[in-house]
Amino acid sequence: MSLSLQPVQVATGHDEDGVLVFDESQRLIAVLTHLSEQNEVAPGQWFLEAGFGRLDGVHHPTFANLDAAQDWIRQRLTHGS
Amino acid sequence: MLSQTITISVACARPAIQVSSGWTPYLHTGNSRMTAGPYSPHSLMIRKLESIFRLSSEEEQALQSLPVQIQFLKADQDIVRIGDSPSQCCLLVEGYTCVYKLTAEGKRQIVAFHVPGDIPDLQSLHLNVLDNSLAAVTPCTVGFIQHEDLRRVCERYPRITAALWRETLVDASIFREWVLNVGRRDAFSRMAHLLCELRVKLKAVGLAEDDTFDVPFTQVELADAIGTSNVHVNRVLQELRAKDLIRSKGTQVTIPDWEKLKEVAGFDPLYLHLEQGRAA
Repeated sequence: MSLSLQPVQVATGHDEDGVLVFDESQRLIAVLTHLSEQNEVAPGQWFLEAGFGRLDGVHHPTFANLDAAQDWIRQRLTHGS
Repeated sequence: MLSQTITISVACARPAIQVSSGWTPYLHTGNSRMTAGPYSPHSLMIRKLESIFRLSSEEEQALQSLPVQIQFLKADQDIVRIGDSPSQCCLLVEGYTCVYKLTAEGKRQIVAFHVPGDIPDLQSLHLNVLDNSLAAVTPCTVGFIQHEDLRRVCERYPRITAALWRETLVDASIFREWVLNVGRRDAFSRMAHLLCELRVKLKAVGLAEDDTFDVPFTQVELADAIGTSNVHVNRVLQELRAKDLIRSKGTQVTIPDWEKLKEVAGFDPLYLHLEQGRAA
């Protein structure tokens, strides 16, 4: 499954960079935020800020990089868990 | 920075000791997650009941003579688990405990935090099987009171029965407020509300002098309590600090402007039913 990314700024209070993640039908499926160094839990990591459809839920993982985030999203969309 | 560290465990090699009256304060380990609580289990119970009604000397004597088995618990240690059928209740003497439930996938929701003086599994006196789990959040001192001993006191002293019943009703009131908090407030207000609750409960037992108190919880624990992620908890705590709604030093939190924090949280302490001198 190919995903496309579109850079955005996310108003989290720290002007963090983020990306909108679209599926093959150009539907928005997730917002990923690149956590600033000020975040004391996972500085510099990517965070599932919001997920839609099968990515919706209370689980908001962090990822070392965008590739890992996309792998996780693909797996969730394919297997649903 | 509020504690984001992994929980520190303290070895629990000390044996249980029996206390029936008189009290020697424990030697503290000096661990930063050990909350001060210089009270005996009996004085905590008596203090709690005296906030509801004036105990007669007979009632006070009955409580003083309740056998209490003291145990020291490590942080994160389960005290009772869902499905258990305990034969005793747990009185929290020192430290913090939490009640939690897990989803089938193992995701945890903390549904209450407790402070010294609370009896977090009091419902087990009448409900044979526990429907939640209870764990030490920090190293804790707890006093176990056998159900049969509590029943014996309750049969003889109806006002004590009523007061314990009232305790479980207050617990239910707190759960209702937490449902509102988790379900209908934004994360910023949720965190503010939790801090307000801790401040009021700790102040009632003399553990929040000058609006400063210990919040030795990890950000994962806070996230599990207010239903968000630890990443977002960290943002919220930073925002609370940036707006000077809280100040923190180690695990100590100070509230510089109580009225302002209450307003942000939408906090009304009514649901804690802490009024002094109320007749049972």
